[in-house]
Amino acid sequence: MRGLHIYILLAVAALALVFADRLSSYWMHVAIIAMFYGILASSWSLLAGYAGLFSLGHMAFASIGGYTSALLVQWYGIPIPVGMVAGVALCCVLGGLIGWVCLRMTGPYLAIFTLGFSEIVRIIFATEDDITAGMAGLHVERLFSTTSRLPYFYVAFALLVVSLLLMGVIVRSRWGLFLRAIREDEQAASASGVAVARFRILAFAIASGFAALAGSFYGHYIGILTPSIGGLDFMAVLVVMTVIGGMERLPTAVGGAFVVEFLLEVLRGYGQWRLPLFGIILLLTMRFARNGLLTPLWLRFVQLGEPRAVAATALRDVPQKDPAQ
Amino acid sequence: MSAAAELIRGVSLVKRFGGIVANDTVEFSVVEGDLVGLIGPNGSGKSTLINMLTGHLPPDGGEVVVRGHEMRGQAAHLYAAMGVARTFQLTQLFGRMTVLENLLVPGLTRPGSTWRSVVQQARSTLDFLKLTHLEQLHAKNLSGGQQKLLELGRCMMLEPAILFLDEPFAGVHPHLRDQLITRIQELHEAGRTFVVVDHDMESILRLSKRLVVMARGRKIADGPPADVREDQAVLAAYAGS
Repeated sequence: MRGLHIYILLAVAALALVFADRLSSYWMHVAIIAMFYGILASSWSLLAGYAGLFSLGHMAFASIGGYTSALLVQWYGIPIPVGMVAGVALCCVLGGLIGWVCLRMTGPYLAIFTLGFSEIVRIIFATEDDITAGMAGLHVERLFSTTSRLPYFYVAFALLVVSLLLMGVIVRSRWGLFLRAIREDEQAASASGVAVARFRILAFAIASGFAALAGSFYGHYIGILTPSIGGLDFMAVLVVMTVIGGMERLPTAVGGAFVVEFLLEVLRGYGQWRLPLFGIILLLTMRFARNGLLTPLWLRFVQLGEPRAVAATALRDVPQKDPAQ
Repeated sequence: MSAAAELIRGVSLVKRFGGIVANDTVEFSVVEGDLVGLIGPNGSGKSTLINMLTGHLPPDGGEVVVRGHEMRGQAAHLYAAMGVARTFQLTQLFGRMTVLENLLVPGLTRPGSTWRSVVQQARSTLDFLKLTHLEQLHAKNLSGGQQKLLELGRCMMLEPAILFLDEPFAGVHPHLRDQLITRIQELHEAGRTFVVVDHDMESILRLSKRLVVMARGRKIADGPPADVREDQAVLAAYAGS
């Protein structure tokens, strides 16, 4: 049966929606945060995994999106969804601008540049406390007046699904192919007719827009925003999630976010010791499974129900020997 | 030689790297249907010239004209869009993409192209290059010679007016080299224009209709291979290198 994995995913999604109200408030919160990270991890995977642009400024865009929406709602009383759209639009423009400024940077230079950018953003939010309430935290109007987390669960679910569908369309289109070509070799991509500068800027703009979407939802869910959301700690968690899952595919990046968020909660009893544990898992992943721990599982899952020959093609990520030797 | 048939022209091209003049007022033009061999000792400025003519290196002086359009300040992908394709001295493929995907990239950059037509074109290109059985392999897993063939295929997918091949025979097994030469000859007979840079004199002489020789950043000879081989300046440049 072709596309069996899609039916399985749809069934799991349907079960999650139907039985969501049976989750305790605590685990529902964990699920909502996991979906928040899911949007961030998949959009960072678009940027770092597909286009090879290893930006450490992704959480800065989440914080800019969050503060923009929160402040616009507070100042002008606009509906929250409009505020969120404004945050997304601003971050698309800012992301494109950052992409343009660092057009000639790759690898460590790009990472350090975007790290610098994210620190500047964080410090501005922390020091301009007349506007942002600084480290005390900005009170943000919540999306729903109810104390139940269930509506937030549904919204987070919808945002994650829509984000994945949109990004999925992008990575499966010729744009996705061009982004991967740029990741592999920019010079060869331009010799092949790919407008490298345009697609690098586009990748930054799109990924930053999704980061802003996640950040603005987070603010209107938690009800308070502090500058630390754009800091290096959050960014490190995001990198760990995406790399452990598999940064070159959207579903594995989301899977990484879910697994790490779940483990962070399960291992809460170990306090700070769980963080070195994730550090070790990250090291082992980089050493032994650079495509991520979930990638082989995902490739096997995708081939469920496929005829054997097609399945072999789906597994082409497995290193193969040179037939000429 | 009518002006309309001129595909590319480098006018007084100059390129300096620090104190070294890599190209010193080089004039270079190629007309439709040409098969030019570009030779010269190491460091004579061949690759620099190709990099300038394909938009990968901005000249310090002079001008590149592609099919009558001055290309000053244009990005490399616009050269590709104008029908200028190239390979690289050290093969540059999209290593962690499949052989088929490597060909889809240039095909899909062409305006108005559809996936269906580009996949079809890529498959017939693979067939032409005898690489069909490797379609789903990652490009990095190909042998050196197969990689050179795939790079040629990637150029073909642009349906270019002119192809610059930078050292296509370097490090390639003689059997695959012969295959590469045959493919180039077939493409040339089908109307493609080539500029081939290489140190393999035998292959270059077998292929080219016109030979251009560079030494110390200058063009020192340009003409039919038989004439150029007898040229005293060329003999001196090679003897001195």
